[in-house]
Amino acid sequence: MFHWLEKNPFFFSVGVFLVIAFAGLIEILPNFAEASRPVVGLKPYSVLELAGKNIYMKDQCIACHSQLIRPFKAETDRYGQYSLSGEYAYDRPFLWGSKRTGPDLHRVGNYRTTDWHENHMWEPTSVVPGSIMPAYKHMFTNVADIATAYAEAVTVKNIFKTPYGDEIQPGVEAFEAHKPAILAEAQKIAAGMKNQDVKDAVKAGNVPEIVALIAYLNRLK
Amino acid sequence: MQSNAALEYDYSVAKLFTYTAILFGFVGMLIGTLIAAQLAFPELNYLLGEYGTFSRLRPLHTNVVIYGFTLSGVWATFYYSAQRVLKVSMAESKFIMFLGKFHFGLYLVAAVAMVLTLLMGITTSKEYAQMEWPLDIIIVVIWVTWGLAMFALIGIRREKALYISMWYFIACFLGVAMLYLFNNMEVPTYFASGGVGSMMHSVSMYAGTNDALVQWWWGHNAVAFVFTVPIVAMIYYFLPKESGQAVYSYKLSLLSFWGLMFVYLWAGSHHLLWSTVPDWMQTMGSIFSVVLILPSWGSAINMLLTMKGEWNQLTENPLIKFMVLASTFYMLSTLEGPIQAIKSVNAIAHFTDWIPGHVHDGVLGWVAFMIMAALFHMAPRMFKREIYSKKLIEAQFWLQTTAVVLYFTSMWIAGITQGMMWRAVDEYGNLMYSFIDTVTVLHPYYAIRALSGVLFLTGFLMFAYNMVKTMTSSRKLEEEPQFSSPMA
Amino acid sequence: MNALMIKALAFSAVLIGATLAVVKSMNIDLSDPINMITMIGAIAIAVLTFGVSAKYINQMKTDTAQGELAEENWDGIGEYKNELPGGWAYSFLGTMIWAIWYWTIGYPVNSFSQIGQWNEEVKAYNIKFEKTNKNADKATLTEMGESIFLVQCAPCHGSTGDGLSGKAHDFTSRMSKAQVLDVIEKGSDQLGYAMGAMPPMMATGQDAEAIAAYVAGGMKGEQPASFGVCAGCHGADGKGMGGTAPNIASFDEDLIVHVVKSGKKGALGVMPAFHDRMTPVQTKALATYIKTLGQGE
Ligand code: HEC
Ligand code: HEC
Ligand code: HEC
Ligand code: HEM
Ligand code: HEM
Ligand SMILES: [Ca+2]
Ligand SMILES: [Ca+2]
Ligand SMILES: [Cu+2]
Repeated sequence: MFHWLEKNPFFFSVGVFLVIAFAGLIEILPNFAEASRPVVGLKPYSVLELAGKNIYMKDQCIACHSQLIRPFKAETDRYGQYSLSGEYAYDRPFLWGSKRTGPDLHRVGNYRTTDWHENHMWEPTSVVPGSIMPAYKHMFTNVADIATAYAEAVTVKNIFKTPYGDEIQPGVEAFEAHKPAILAEAQKIAAGMKNQDVKDAVKAGNVPEIVALIAYLNRLK
Repeated sequence: MQSNAALEYDYSVAKLFTYTAILFGFVGMLIGTLIAAQLAFPELNYLLGEYGTFSRLRPLHTNVVIYGFTLSGVWATFYYSAQRVLKVSMAESKFIMFLGKFHFGLYLVAAVAMVLTLLMGITTSKEYAQMEWPLDIIIVVIWVTWGLAMFALIGIRREKALYISMWYFIACFLGVAMLYLFNNMEVPTYFASGGVGSMMHSVSMYAGTNDALVQWWWGHNAVAFVFTVPIVAMIYYFLPKESGQAVYSYKLSLLSFWGLMFVYLWAGSHHLLWSTVPDWMQTMGSIFSVVLILPSWGSAINMLLTMKGEWNQLTENPLIKFMVLASTFYMLSTLEGPIQAIKSVNAIAHFTDWIPGHVHDGVLGWVAFMIMAALFHMAPRMFKREIYSKKLIEAQFWLQTTAVVLYFTSMWIAGITQGMMWRAVDEYGNLMYSFIDTVTVLHPYYAIRALSGVLFLTGFLMFAYNMVKTMTSSRKLEEEPQFSSPMA
Repeated sequence: MNALMIKALAFSAVLIGATLAVVKSMNIDLSDPINMITMIGAIAIAVLTFGVSAKYINQMKTDTAQGELAEENWDGIGEYKNELPGGWAYSFLGTMIWAIWYWTIGYPVNSFSQIGQWNEEVKAYNIKFEKTNKNADKATLTEMGESIFLVQCAPCHGSTGDGLSGKAHDFTSRMSKAQVLDVIEKGSDQLGYAMGAMPPMMATGQDAEAIAAYVAGGMKGEQPASFGVCAGCHGADGKGMGGTAPNIASFDEDLIVHVVKSGKKGALGVMPAFHDRMTPVQTKALATYIKTLGQGE
């Protein structure tokens, strides 16, 4: 039989395809609906937090940080409650990571604060001597891409039914209308920071990347 | 069956992919060495401003070595060996020649775009699927082009039965096609939001746990269908060919192939052990990983047995050395992987440096060794010159073997130590180590790994130099060698 | 045994030996089941891979190729019709039988729950912790407190508790002048003491300066007259009147309990609340340790 297949590339390919295709169906589909359900009370990311998430992706913090607390006592002692599937229902993409060169961050919002992040992202060794994490000084001057974050909120609202309110609507005008709310949220973060340039930038209507990133990190709880 | 009169094979496409394999191999490993050094000496993060941090460069390393180096190697060897085992020349069909050149041209465009976008931080963040949606589309076209070229060649073949290597190339094509498509389903936000923000940005079709499942269904099988299947295709052609030995056992080839095809896909959830994926799926990934040892070892053993009685070839021909050691490292990673997939072991191994250790047994000792040996074998045939220097290959072999051993032993120790320190509790039951303790303790191992990177990279430069010399200034050959490759 | 095999096993032994030595030097408890299974796994990887490949490579020296060739030939490559190597075939069969057993009898769907396992792990630990630490003495508490402090608090307060040059509270002195002035100016309502909130602007100008200098100096020397307004709540000795308001003269357990539970926002920055992430014994241990940093009662 096999020798016959080897002489008939078409059926050979069909055979290979069938053999490799069905494992995925059995392992992924049965749980699909269940795994999409959010935990009770889960709020979608605000636009500022989404912008922060995009900076987390742009600078690939995932290269060193996980966001998945496994159910071991050593891990729940260090990072807090183990992670639940429903907590990730609005995470597109999932950011669990596969390497912990640095600590897990899934609940870092519970035990670190704005001013700590400000110090740490500027110069990690100033708070944690011996840290090998890079300093991300460029985040204090680069301006976050709020528009794209807004576009993301619109997209997930309209296509995946993520429960945003009526203020999230398609189009550039709707974005401009929502912008003051984003800036107000950024103001609150900037108020907890010490860097004067950052505060001034926010006041002038620009959101430095660091502000959005901290909003995102504080949200991780 | 046709006469055995020698065919004029056309190597122009194979040559093009050979050049990019050398180029991307160098770039990818240079970045690998740099990021290895950054973990030991963090000041190295600031050489290129925001573009030079470990975190920007790490995905660049993985993408350049996978999609640049490995795929170039796969395609160079494919366009070389497929003609030969199918007994047709690409030159026999203008259409196939066009497909081959188009394949390469578009690939080069995509590769450059990949490097630029990742440097700029344009990424979807899913490992081994970081490229944003416009690149995904180009990649699909490239893949389809390759498939067309492959099946067109098969269509006009003179050798009725497909050789083992072709089984694996076909599997590589189908597997990646299916998995890549599903994992890269994403919605561009610009178009879905009435034109707000960046055109490049997209969101994944899946969220959270589902996204994780789809991602590692792909991620694990990217390992299967990029780092394993086409490399097995290579060894089944180049080892018997270089040594002149017949493959040890057809039955073993057969069972290993179909066993691998059947089992590999089930194992993906071993990347999600102890996560929020249901327990039974995790168990499934764990069990199938252990079963996977045997079909993997089957190919390796088949190749080692093919060399039975050929000790003198092993000692005298450095290309045979590379390939025999590649089999061994393949055995190492395909036993280490399954053991790391046992849930209790994974509780320690996951998230630690033991995983990159496991990765590099495979990618350095198996993938890179095989690709370099294959390109060496092809060079005298493609360029009609003998290999420039045997001595240099010998030196390269020992240098790089040392490098791989240093890499995997240092990360093995580092990972196990780190994993156990994270769990350790003091006599009162409180955590014994702060996180930073578990970082600083790794410094010596990170430094050893950086050294191993320098050694491996130096070896790769020796390979590149040898290849360039072979192309340009080595002694010309009158006729194509049948088996072992001539070298000065 | 041949030379190659000996080398292979020696290499495995060195690798395992080195791993054990490093792990042991970090005080790792290898009798922990997870650690033990991992070590056994590591040994299996090294021994099997290097042993088996040495066996086959050795055959290149000792054996010769033979068998019946298949009729096909691809580009000069032939193929023997040899049987499967026995060891390989039986191991394959064995793992398949094991997989089916595991899946149907050993651990069928829903027979294992990782969350269930976590619950048990925590319960067992809590019982043990209760028992061993019910009557911990001061030395034990100090040691325990230090180790908790290094894991949980050092990222902000520094490993010596010095507050990392003003980034967080410095435990080697009670409070800095700036911190006290800030509280006087803004008042405070966050720590959850019985007395509730402290109103803002209880003192201003020179008075405030004098009070702040006095408090920051550890309440030593002559008490400024204006301190009277503070004494109403914090007591003339600053000790907080039996835990109804914070002790501003020295660190005491009450203060640590309140701050750890509620967090604190002040002149230096914001400290997160640890809510119920610390057990009472752990908080007590932290307090005991912090008091040893220089400004205890
Ligand atoms: C080269 C690896 C590396 C990269 C890249 C990296 N980190 Fe870290 N990170 C670490 C290490 C190591 C630590 C632990 C030492 C420390 O606190 O600095 C850490 C700690 C942290 C912490 C403190 C968590 C805690 O529990 O103490 C946060 C928050 C953090 N990183 C955020 C980020 C963000 C955001 C990025 C990306 C912009 C990032 N890191 C990139 C290595 C890295
Ligand atoms: C009405 C009662 C009252 C008066 C009067 C008062 N305090 Fe307080 N003080 C409190 C209470 C209650 C708190 C705790 C507030 C909280 O929960 O945040 C406090 C907190 C403080 C703290 C912060 C302690 C810490 O460790 O974080 C300082 C410092 C302090 N008071 C100093 C003073 C000084 C100086 C004065 C006089 C100018 C004063 N207080 C007057 C009730 C008072
Ligand atoms: C994310 C940073 C952070 C962490 C983690 C942290 N602290 Fe703090 N802590 C602070 C900051 C900042 C202050 C100073 C607030 C101020 O007065 O401005 C502070 C203040 C305190 C104070 C108040 C002293 C006083 O008199 O007001 C105590 C007590 C304290 N920390 C104890 C702890 C303990 C114990 C832990 C560990 C369980 C801990 N902290 C962890 C940041 C932190
Ligand atoms: C029998 C075959 C194999 C099995 C069962 C296996 C199993 C595993 C496991 C359990 C992990 C760790 C997942 C984690 O905890 O994070 C892993 C990671 C990995 N393995 Fe393997 N492995 C096998 C073969 C290989 C080979 C041959 C290669 C490469 C040539 C390879 C490359 C990788 C890579 C790249 C990762 C890292 C994935 C990530 O980014 O997290 N594996 N493998
Ligand atoms: C000079 C040689 C190389 C060096 C020094 C090197 C170094 C590194 C480093 C430091 C990392 C990051 C590990 C971490 O985050 O802890 C890494 C990751 C990786 N490298 Fe390499 N590398 C080299 C060659 C290669 C080659 C040739 C390949 C593939 C063909 C490769 C594939 C990978 C992959 C897949 C990962 C991701 C592993 C994971 O996520 O677990 N590397 N490499
Ligand atoms: Ca990874
Ligand atoms: Ca993509
Ligand atoms: Cu895998």
